[in-house]
Amino acid sequence: MASPQDRVFTTSPAQLASSAGPRKHRRRIDPKIWWAYAFISPVLIFLLVFSVVPIFFSFWVSLHSWNLITPIPEMPFVGVDNYTRILLYDDVFRRALVNTFVFAFWGVTFNLVLGLAGALLLNSRIRWRPLWSTFFFLPIVTAPLALGMMWTALLNKNFGLVNALLGSIGIPPQPFLSSPEQALGCIIFMAIYQYVGYYVVVFLAGLQGIPQDYYDAAAVDGANARQSFWYVTLPLLRPVMLFLVVTNTIGALQVFDLVFAATTGGAETSGGGPANSTMVVVLHMYNTAFKFFRMGRASAMAMVLFVVIFVITLVQLWLLRHRE
Amino acid sequence: MKGLTGMAMRRSRLTQPFISILKYVALVSVSCVMLLPFYWMIAASLMTTAEIIRTPPPLLPAEPQWRNYLDVVYAVNIGRAYLNSIIVSALTVLGILFTSSLSGFAFAKYHFPLKNVLFTIILASMMIPFFVILIPVFYIVKQLGWLNNYAGLILPGVVSAYGVFMLRQFIQGIPDELLDAARIDGASEFRIYWQLIVPLSGPALATLGVFSLVGVWNSFLWPLLVVQDSALHTVPLALNNLRTYGAEERSLNLRMAGTVLSVIPSVVVFVWLQRFFRRGIALTGLKG
Repeated sequence: MASPQDRVFTTSPAQLASSAGPRKHRRRIDPKIWWAYAFISPVLIFLLVFSVVPIFFSFWVSLHSWNLITPIPEMPFVGVDNYTRILLYDDVFRRALVNTFVFAFWGVTFNLVLGLAGALLLNSRIRWRPLWSTFFFLPIVTAPLALGMMWTALLNKNFGLVNALLGSIGIPPQPFLSSPEQALGCIIFMAIYQYVGYYVVVFLAGLQGIPQDYYDAAAVDGANARQSFWYVTLPLLRPVMLFLVVTNTIGALQVFDLVFAATTGGAETSGGGPANSTMVVVLHMYNTAFKFFRMGRASAMAMVLFVVIFVITLVQLWLLRHRE
Repeated sequence: MKGLTGMAMRRSRLTQPFISILKYVALVSVSCVMLLPFYWMIAASLMTTAEIIRTPPPLLPAEPQWRNYLDVVYAVNIGRAYLNSIIVSALTVLGILFTSSLSGFAFAKYHFPLKNVLFTIILASMMIPFFVILIPVFYIVKQLGWLNNYAGLILPGVVSAYGVFMLRQFIQGIPDELLDAARIDGASEFRIYWQLIVPLSGPALATLGVFSLVGVWNSFLWPLLVVQDSALHTVPLALNNLRTYGAEERSLNLRMAGTVLSVIPSVVVFVWLQRFFRRGIALTGLKG
């Protein structure tokens, strides 16, 4: 029988037979490959125009001073000036970098623990499982913008429900989002709330993929519940955890909507307040680009964050693969 | 052996009810936290401004103020925003489903020069975060004259590298014999795609569709940049307008009413199509 490759490239039975012999240099091109090119062309054209070209363009812009209006051939070349400016002189950008790291680190860490706990709970013998899981997953589908507004209302320092609840157990009202000390913590909390369900679903799928035999074997060897968790469940969930840590760190480093919705900005900027305590990189980049029209500088910020995400991803892959 | 299992069982019989009570306590308290924002959103959306700023706030409105929802419609024209969001989401999702299944089919079932290179490029483009290409894409859309119209909202989003990957994986599982049989019957390649591959890819298309739908419906940053004309605002943009509409204590009920209106479709779609959604998440999670 001919291999799949031959079936596509040959059109007649005679050629099919000859393909078993020495390869011919000139084969007739199968008309089906034109169909294949036609089928992939929409995706290729769109990805070229809206992904591949833009990434090089973005780097190019980061080496120039540009206000989006000057024609591209005329934008002044400034070399690495945009990079030195944002890294050495832009305090807000450095603040934003630190905040973004803090946000991603705590958000992902908490959610790994909470998500695993939630998945173990939902995987155990309980009643009304679909009901509980619906509650867990509800925030995932809700727009971050809407969730930000919902939590802003709840966390209002004067008339929010959370302060009323705290008051009923004797805790004085907290300023939450209006305090530079607490605002970032509130944002992290909102992100945990929003994405914990995602971790639960992925962990659940991982848990259900572990064969019961392994637990039986562990039980025969005299392992108790805690031991079989540490020595069977956790090691077998490693690939799932790797996936969750990598994808969610990448996502968290790009946070925008939530901060935009839940925080106030300056006179001409959006979000990140109070006093830039919740400023994150993409938000600062948005302000730089679309409030002040400094495209070069904003592109440099994008490039820096892109490199940071790339490096962090590589480090995570390396760390989590090698800690066998 | 027997003694050991017996001991374990005796212990578990003693601790079982205790553990199971603990489980339900945990489930109920977590559910309360998860539902708290949704409850407060609905309750506050029906309150008067006086009730909203009372401390401590009432847990339910004395008299539901359905008028608030009408006021939202006047304040930000949420009806128009709904229409825009429906048009944009429907066309974007249809675009994603069409382009993804078409090239997923090509990558799964044909052999052509540069196939692996092109597929690798598509996979690699999945790694490009949106913020990196935000400014160039904005510029390109501006040069194409798509600012402030549906094209700018829809077209940059009609291709999904992830969708191509997912559909290729799925279509690879469709037996080649079916395709060959159709060819012998004289079907063209496009007809094979349209009448064989598309119907057989139903489950994968449903999962991808639900995923993209929720993503597009909730998307905020891109519409915020592309659309200035309020007649073209999508629901998140209308909601954002409401966010800055009046002082917080005077308009919190309107904001929450707007939030309810914006959240309803994704929640309904989710509860209705949960299994596709969860399957999709599990699929992406296990591939790693």
